[in-house]
Amino acid sequence: MLLAFSQWFAQDVRAFNVFQYITLRAVLATLTALAISLLAGPLMIRKLTAYKIGQAVRDDGPKSHLTKAGTPTMGGALLLLSMLITTLLWGDLSNRFVWIVLVVTFGFGAIGWVDDYRKVVHRDSKGLASRWKFFWTALIALVAAVYLAFAVSAPSTSRLLELFMAWVGSGFSMDLPSKADLIVPFFKNIAYPLGVFGFITLSFFVILGTSHAVNMTDGLDGLAIMPAVMVAGGLGVFAMVTGRIDYSRYLLFPYIPGAAELTVFCGALIGAGLGFLWFNAYPAEVFMGDVGALALGAALGTVAVIVRQEIVLFIMGGVFVAETLSVMIQVLYFKWSGGKRIFRMAPLHHHFELSGWKESQVVVRFWIITMMLVLFGLTTLKLR
Amino acid sequence: MKKNCATVGMGETHMRARAHVMATPIPTVRFWIITMMLVLFGLSTLKLR
Repeated sequence: MLLAFSQWFAQDVRAFNVFQYITLRAVLATLTALAISLLAGPLMIRKLTAYKIGQAVRDDGPKSHLTKAGTPTMGGALLLLSMLITTLLWGDLSNRFVWIVLVVTFGFGAIGWVDDYRKVVHRDSKGLASRWKFFWTALIALVAAVYLAFAVSAPSTSRLLELFMAWVGSGFSMDLPSKADLIVPFFKNIAYPLGVFGFITLSFFVILGTSHAVNMTDGLDGLAIMPAVMVAGGLGVFAMVTGRIDYSRYLLFPYIPGAAELTVFCGALIGAGLGFLWFNAYPAEVFMGDVGALALGAALGTVAVIVRQEIVLFIMGGVFVAETLSVMIQVLYFKWSGGKRIFRMAPLHHHFELSGWKESQVVVRFWIITMMLVLFGLTTLKLR
Repeated sequence: MKKNCATVGMGETHMRARAHVMATPIPTVRFWIITMMLVLFGLSTLKLR
C-alpha cells in the first residue's frame, strides 16, 4: 500500500523513489512488525487472560511444565495480525507470490485457531479432530502446491493460466521449465526435473511437513519462534537472490520474477516474531498456540518452495527436522520393541530437559544450533 | 541488591531491569531484541542517505 503511495509521490518528490528498494522495505517491514507486536502485545495478553484462554498442560510431560498451566495461549494471532498489517503496508500488492504466501499462512492459522479455540474456550481436549485438521491443512497445501507449480514456472501472472491450459492440453504430460527443478545444494549443475506431479508432491510435503514440524517444536518458551525467525532471515536472502536477474545469474540460481518481494514478507515475519518473543521468552507471558505454529511453518515451507530451496530449508530448519524425527523414531521404536524408548521423552527438547538441562539452556542452545545451520545453508549461495 | 550490583559492576540499565522483578532470561532476551533492531536500523543507513 505504502509502495503505491510512494510511487505516486515520487512523481513530484524524487526522494520517495527510495521505497522502490526491496531491501529497504524489508528492513522497514521488520521494524513496523516489531512495533505493532510490542504495542498490541500487552492488550492481547490482557484480553486472553480476561477471557481465561489459558494453556492446558499435559500431565505426562515434564513435571516442571505444570507451572505453565493457565498461561494465555493463541498468542500466534498477534504474530499473524502483525505480519498481515505489515505485509499489506510495505509489500507490493500486485505480486502473486505475496498473496499465495499470505493465503497459505492465514489458512493454516485459521485451522490452528479452530483447534485452539475448541481446546481452550470450549474445554474440548480433542480440539479439532486429527483427521479434519489433517484434511484441511492438506487441502490448503495441495491447492498451494498446484498453484505454485505454474506460478513459479510462468514469467508473469498473465502467462500462468496459459501454462496451465497448455499442460492440460498436452494430456498432463508437459514438463515444467528448468527453474522448477529441484536444486541440489552445493552443486551448480545438478538439478532434478520433477515434472508437474513431482513438483506438486514435493511442495505438498514441504508445506505440510514444515507446518507440523514447527508445531511439534513449539514446546518450550521461545523454542519455535526464534528458529523460525532465523530461517525466515535465511530464506529472505534466497528470495532476494532468486528474484533479481543480476544476482541469480551471477550465483547460478534460477531467476523467478517476483520472488524478491518475499524478502518483505520475511522481514515482516522476523519483526513480528521478535515482537512476540518479547512476551514469549522464559517465563512466557503468552504462548503461540497452534494458530501461530501451524501458520509459521506453512509460511516458511511456501517461501522455500517459491525460491526453490526445499533442501536448504531442510538444512536450515534442522531443529524442526530433529524434533519431528525424534517423535517418529520414539513412536516407531516403542511399538517395535514392545515398550522400550530411545529418548527419555519426545519431542527432543523434553529429552534434554529430563537429562538435566534447564529449560532456558535447551532453548538458547537450540537457537545457537539453528544459527549455525542457517549460516551453513547460506554458504550454499556461493559454495557450488 | 543495589550494593551487590555495584560491587560486581553491573550496568545501570540492566540493574533497573532486574529491579523490576523480571526473571533473569527476560531482560537478556529483550536486550538482544533491542540490539537486533538497532543493528537493522543502522544497516538501513546504507540506503537511506
